[in-house]
Amino acid sequence: MLPGGDRDGAVRYVRSVSAITRNCVRVSGPEAGRPMLFAHGFGCDQTMWRAVAPGFAADHRVVTFDHVGSGGSRISAYDPQRYGSLRGYADDVVEICRALELTDVVFVGHSVSAMMGVLAVAQAPELFGALVMVGPSPRYVDEEGYTGGFSRADVAALLDSLDSNPLQWSAALAPVVAGPGNAEVAEELAESFCRTDPTVARQFARVTFLSDNRGDLPGVGVPTLVLQCSQDAIAPEVVGRYVHEHVPGSVFTQLSATGHCPHLSAPEETTAAIRAFLRRIES
Amino acid sequence: MDRAENEPRDEGLARLLEEDPADLYENAPCGYLSMVPDGRVVKVNGTFCAWTGRHPDDVRGRRLPDLLSAGGRVFYETHLAPLLRLQGAVREVALDVVRADGSVLPCLVNAVEVRDAEGQPVLVRATVFEATSRRRYERALLSAQRAAADSEARARTLQQVVSELAAAASAEQVADVVVRRARSAVEAGGAGLWLADPVPGKRVEGQPVPVTLAAADGLSAELLAELATAAPAGAELVRSGGVRAAPVGPELRQRWPGLAATMTEAGQEALVVVPVSAADDRHLGALVLVLGVTDDSELISLSEPGTRGALSPADAELLATLGRQAGQALERIRLYEETVRQAARSAFLLDAARLLAAPREVGETVEHLAELAVQQLADVCVIDLVTERGLVAPVVAHADPARRHLVEQLRDEHLPRRDGSHPSVRAMVEHRTIWARGVDPALMELLSTSPAHLEVTRALELADLICVPLMVEGRPLGVISLGADARRGRFTEADVETAEQLALQMSQGMDVAQRFELESRTSHTLQGSLLPPDPPEVPGLALAVRYLPGSRGADVGGDFYDVVPLPGGTDVALAVGDVVGHDVTAAATMGQLRSVHRALLVDRPRPGALVERLHDSWPLLGLPRMATALFATLRPSTGELRIASAGHLPPLLVTGGRAGLLPVSPGRVLGAPPGPAPEWSGRLPAGASLVLFTDGLVESRTADLDAGLDRLRAVAEEVAAEAQGPVDPDVLCDRLLAVLTGPRRADDVALLVLTRLCGTAGDGTGADDVAVLDPAPGPAGPAVVPAPDPDLADALDGAGGDVTVSGDAMRWSPARVEPPAPAVGFTGLDVAAGLGMALGLDPASVRRLVSGALHRLSGVAGDVVGELRQLARDVRPGDDEDR
Repeated sequence: MLPGGDRDGAVRYVRSVSAITRNCVRVSGPEAGRPMLFAHGFGCDQTMWRAVAPGFAADHRVVTFDHVGSGGSRISAYDPQRYGSLRGYADDVVEICRALELTDVVFVGHSVSAMMGVLAVAQAPELFGALVMVGPSPRYVDEEGYTGGFSRADVAALLDSLDSNPLQWSAALAPVVAGPGNAEVAEELAESFCRTDPTVARQFARVTFLSDNRGDLPGVGVPTLVLQCSQDAIAPEVVGRYVHEHVPGSVFTQLSATGHCPHLSAPEETTAAIRAFLRRIES
Repeated sequence: MDRAENEPRDEGLARLLEEDPADLYENAPCGYLSMVPDGRVVKVNGTFCAWTGRHPDDVRGRRLPDLLSAGGRVFYETHLAPLLRLQGAVREVALDVVRADGSVLPCLVNAVEVRDAEGQPVLVRATVFEATSRRRYERALLSAQRAAADSEARARTLQQVVSELAAAASAEQVADVVVRRARSAVEAGGAGLWLADPVPGKRVEGQPVPVTLAAADGLSAELLAELATAAPAGAELVRSGGVRAAPVGPELRQRWPGLAATMTEAGQEALVVVPVSAADDRHLGALVLVLGVTDDSELISLSEPGTRGALSPADAELLATLGRQAGQALERIRLYEETVRQAARSAFLLDAARLLAAPREVGETVEHLAELAVQQLADVCVIDLVTERGLVAPVVAHADPARRHLVEQLRDEHLPRRDGSHPSVRAMVEHRTIWARGVDPALMELLSTSPAHLEVTRALELADLICVPLMVEGRPLGVISLGADARRGRFTEADVETAEQLALQMSQGMDVAQRFELESRTSHTLQGSLLPPDPPEVPGLALAVRYLPGSRGADVGGDFYDVVPLPGGTDVALAVGDVVGHDVTAAATMGQLRSVHRALLVDRPRPGALVERLHDSWPLLGLPRMATALFATLRPSTGELRIASAGHLPPLLVTGGRAGLLPVSPGRVLGAPPGPAPEWSGRLPAGASLVLFTDGLVESRTADLDAGLDRLRAVAEEVAAEAQGPVDPDVLCDRLLAVLTGPRRADDVALLVLTRLCGTAGDGTGADDVAVLDPAPGPAGPAVVPAPDPDLADALDGAGGDVTVSGDAMRWSPARVEPPAPAVGFTGLDVAAGLGMALGLDPASVRRLVSGALHRLSGVAGDVVGELRQLARDVRPGDDEDR
């Protein structure tokens, strides 16, 4: 049982499951290496980092984990109240760092996890040394004077598409979708890498796409890298620029990788950009 | 079946199957797409183009996500692409492809990643199936699922509300439950419950009903204030009909511009008003919700601004049900509370009746009633009684000890200055209940006579005020004012009724008590006027007198005392007496007796003769009552003392540190058939004191007369011991009264103490100074030296005289003789005991002896005295011989 500092300072106990078990934490690399904590975004799990994280394990203490509700995390630890906002996820990040007694952590967050990193750094600045944001967006929904890339209707449609997709239907409806006698397919769907509890996925999508963390950006007090993909339909360049402008002293690196997941589609370029940033701040 | 017959068909089939692969690709029953790993389409078939209405050139070169709807785009990036990379294939992913005309084609997509020898992706092949019907079915399923979930949520809400309302014990709890649950059920920005104030009487059509906020959740102070302003008129709108939703539009802006502006400011788009009514459709209040921005979540609302004010029919139905449930719960609680209050009121009135029935002075009773009222009916109670000076110094009480000083301030400083506009005064003048019905700042100012008064009124937080006159036969006796403070809330009709019943009880009780007190006061005044105000200065004597009227209501006594210097200037006449009864007649009889006594003193009769003359003249005087009295003459210069008693208690002699009753034979009570009044004579030594008293001093309901007389002696000796010389009569008087009488005297007390001062003319060192009572102490009480013959002989003669007892004299020795002795023995016994004590004998053994003798001799007191004389000789032969 791990006491974690709540944002109002009160100590909160998270069930009886340790953060390590709860978040399916995996650690590799030399103990003396600088800790790097990789947080996956909305959609999959820590497998997303498999082309990037191992490269850092040569000279870093590499920690990967699953958000509660994703991958190998303990679904029983999912508390709609706690995970009703990104703060609950940020609390988990802090708890993991404390459980592993990590300091001077380089937090690498993809997509929505970049904002969890912003919140975690604000909550426990003593734990973190640098922040790497991969395809960040502080707010997805457009607002007057701000372009996030999505209208409310888009997000509603997205939530609908989550409801209609077999991945999310997997637990209950996969056999029906796959058709009778096609048990192998159903099996495969259920055993997918990116399996997610449908209810949690929907909630996580709401939290991801309906949060507004623009106000938290100026408070980031550690060296920060913004990695911006090309043709990212989820976090367009204008949004990445916005983040860069609002996080004091941040570094903006434009990747040639397209899409929203450069760590999958262009792991070498992504790794190189991160290493370049670390060299820069460590020199 | 013939094989040959089938041949041609097989051939046809074979021909058909030898189709052109290119045609198969172009016109396959599904869309084909080939993409490079970053998603750019490099090849597309005709079917996909036909379905989407796009030209192949329009498709090639674009990334697949760009051809998808926003939801599909996100899903592609977050799920499909990563899964392809991780698993190499995805199946049956639901995506919406956007057609050239902007419409959407629901599809299912299968895709595989083609990898090179190193496992690096080189190509993605995807097949796209149209899934319109399937998606329609899925959506129908989904929407049914959501509708079921919503319906279940509503049912759950209702269930929770019903169970929470059943547990609610107060209107506040009901309001809290309904507001919280209703707000959460329809995801409202805020909610509040306003309840109509219980206004007695019939509602006037068109007149706004005052409402009070019972609970609120999520409403800002500004919004609450605006809603409160709109509430009275708004309540009219929902008096009939169901749930109403009013968008913030021109209509709302026109009617309540402030409210509309505040709502807009807070991002609220509609106002929903839900009637809260009882089972019989009586309107109790309204549940008001605002729809729009909810501050509860940190998340952005999904609904677009401008669309948040909509209320679905199902939600409206739910709210209507909640309103009805709330109404029924409120009604149930009101009935319950009313029953409890009714029981409390009955108990209160019963307590008040008990208080009024108890024998107390009016002032005390009123104080108790005020305290009772603030325990059960009100926070503040002020009771004014009519006095000669109008309404002054009322009795006040407050339920909260911390605020008692405030009402005391009112009583002492402010209420005496109130004028005719004050509700309490109006109640008195108009002979009717005045109910302020809600004390507002304006009324507070009206009530107050000064800024300081206003401050006190404000500090009391008066919320309501009732003033009820105390009336008897159309005559106001006073007024009772009851105040409720903000914490208690306003009075109800039933409270006012209780206050009026209390006033009625009080009026009747006080009328009786006041009449009683009036009679009592008159008697005491009369008695006081019949007594000499101060004893005269008598050379050679120090004198003190006291008179205390009985404390029990109208009980007055006919007790008196008198000190009269006799003509000639050498002697002074003394008297104490007690006329039978405790009323005005007794007091009047006493006055006459005293007058007659004074008249008779002109001839300077000896006390014995005085008693005889009084006996003789009693029938002529027509005095209606009997009386006991003790008369004495004293010559201060020599101490020569003569005493005669008409059935009265003997006086107490205090000398040389000792005290004892003088053996004065009581004689017959005045008003009884005449009999001889044996006269006691002796000499009062210089420095000695004589105490004349009435039975009120020594008699009480709780202790017998013997005990009283013992205490009298003990106290006198105490004072004598402290004085170490002549006793100051005032000191002795005060001490006797302090020790022997309590605050609750059943009877009057008359007390006369005199001390013969040393160094009086003729009071030298000669034979005159021989003490009647020897100050030498003995073990069992004051030892007595036989007085010089004449004195002692007189004393014994007196003691041995007629011992007829009757009337009041009976009262001072009721339980003296055991076994029961004839009545004749009582006084003799006392006298004998006193005498025996004077002779230095143990009073108890004397009593036994005398009691036995009386039995044998049947009241022949002379023989007793003979025996006593013999006894005295036997005991102190030496002394006797010395003389």
